[in-house]
Amino acid sequence: MAGNTTPSSRSGQLRQRSRLAGWLFVSPAVLLFLIFVLGPFVAAMALSLFSYDLLTPPKFVGFKNFGQLPKDSLLLRSLGNTFLFAFASVVTHLVGGMLLALAVNRGINKVLSYFVRTALFFPFLISWAAVSLLWKYVLDPTFGIFAFYVGKLGITPPLWFTEPRWALPAIIGIDWWHTIGYTFLIMLAGLQTVPSEMIEAARVDGANRVQTFFNVTVPLMTPTLFFASVITFIGAFQIFDPIQIITGGGPNDSTITAVMYLYQTGFQAFQIGYASTIALVIFAVIMLVTLLQFWGSRKWVHNA
Amino acid sequence: MPDIPSPVAEIAGGPAAQRPVPVTGFRRWLRRFSVFRFVLSLVLLVIGLLMIAPLIWLISQSLVEPISAFLLPPKWIPIPFTLENFRDVVNLIPIGRMFLNSLLVTVISVVGSLTIASLAAYAFSRIPFAGRDRLFILMLTALMVPGQLTIIPIFIMMRKLGLIDHLGSLFLPALINVFAIFFLRQYFNSIPRDLDEAARIDGAGHLRILFQILLPLAGPALSALAILGFEASWNNYFGALIFLSTPERMTLPIGLVSLAAGQGGGPAVVVFAGITLVVVPILVVFLAFQRNFVESVASVGIRG
Repeated sequence: MAGNTTPSSRSGQLRQRSRLAGWLFVSPAVLLFLIFVLGPFVAAMALSLFSYDLLTPPKFVGFKNFGQLPKDSLLLRSLGNTFLFAFASVVTHLVGGMLLALAVNRGINKVLSYFVRTALFFPFLISWAAVSLLWKYVLDPTFGIFAFYVGKLGITPPLWFTEPRWALPAIIGIDWWHTIGYTFLIMLAGLQTVPSEMIEAARVDGANRVQTFFNVTVPLMTPTLFFASVITFIGAFQIFDPIQIITGGGPNDSTITAVMYLYQTGFQAFQIGYASTIALVIFAVIMLVTLLQFWGSRKWVHNA
Repeated sequence: MPDIPSPVAEIAGGPAAQRPVPVTGFRRWLRRFSVFRFVLSLVLLVIGLLMIAPLIWLISQSLVEPISAFLLPPKWIPIPFTLENFRDVVNLIPIGRMFLNSLLVTVISVVGSLTIASLAAYAFSRIPFAGRDRLFILMLTALMVPGQLTIIPIFIMMRKLGLIDHLGSLFLPALINVFAIFFLRQYFNSIPRDLDEAARIDGAGHLRILFQILLPLAGPALSALAILGFEASWNNYFGALIFLSTPERMTLPIGLVSLAAGQGGGPAVVVFAGITLVVVPILVVFLAFQRNFVESVASVGIRG
């Protein structure tokens, strides 16, 4: 980098001053990093070896918490639900975001484009608390507008939050409404990096619209698709707010997710040690899947 | 939809017009294209309306008199309208206080974390010092650590410090934003070094170079990070749920949920009025700064 100086006393002095300045500039960040990231990270690992309920002193139990993991059916249930949620979330966000971005990018009327972009993105800025409460009412079978208008079409929607089969799909739908605008924007920005000359060239060479899309646009969009899939998975795997507010994990644990279970274990049952173990599992899963995505990306991402 | 000539149509029409294509075929193609665009516009309009329908329902139901709220078909236009529901919100929860709390936490988190991140990013980009790159990589690993993992030790720490049920428990951990450090460092690296070399020759120190040369040039990066920081902090539910319990010390997301929970089966209109009070300010801010919002999120998405 820029630190290649000739070994003279002046430059040595400079280097020393520079070292001091460098550490001074990073010190607030490093201090906070140690207190709120690295320290707690190490502490969480240590806590996973203890049994601790906040009231009595922590008791060292070795790897007992880890031994408990595979036997904990509720944990396995919550991990299964979370994977299902995350998978559905990634697929619906990527497909939906891509199609919407393509449509808006298609040179539609400016006013309409502004309206659609606003309508898609605005829900992303509303807190999950407000979104969850609102949708609980929207989907209410007796006085919600969803059941009313869908009923007009002759369809009786399920009792979303009382039927175990339908509660998670409902959350997936609400999450889509809440965050699709973000995916959409990423896709739109990605589409705009696709040079229009390449599209034109393909069209001049006789490719039709569908061929151009799959052979030019999609390959050039793969870095964006990859980024969006990584970000969406990481976010989805940590889903908590709507679960806690709308279903509390029910009915019949059909919507309990990993972080919801972590919350119940740590902050309701106060099994701090075991909750830390669960947190480590969540961390390991996220890291593993992200690494897998990066590893797999070499096969399908353009210029990866 | 009005058929204004769009850039896409021109691009698509350009090469085709240059080639000896029979006029009738081209005309037919053009007409089909317009029909396609019309249908596309219609579909987008419907999607946009469906996206905002729950929000319009929310606002209209919070403005109608309780007696005609939640009628089906819904009263989309709240006439006669009343502010009674909002008065009830104020009577039930200290929403003004909650708003101030949210504002305080958000402002401290965003301004504090961006200041600290700017200083660190400057050192990582411009001041060579021993161990710099290793420190940077160590901090980057924090991007992989989910908040749920560190929250348990942070909870224990806050308990020891007596900061439970204090706003500090929310904004102190938010002061370290590793993503902002990473993002700003990348941004600073893209600014030519000649600029600060020139300033240094003129006798400017590191702080002046950072605040008078680099940061003014990093406006787009800063506003993107500020917007994302605002979103994360203003909507933080998980932290508020764990740390705050007294109504006067709550932030809006948790206050809103407490309003809904306290209501039980009571008037949902009051809950709706509460949600509206939370949503409308964001809507106003969003519409005022939409350009920055959309561009910022897109740029972070692509660069990140």
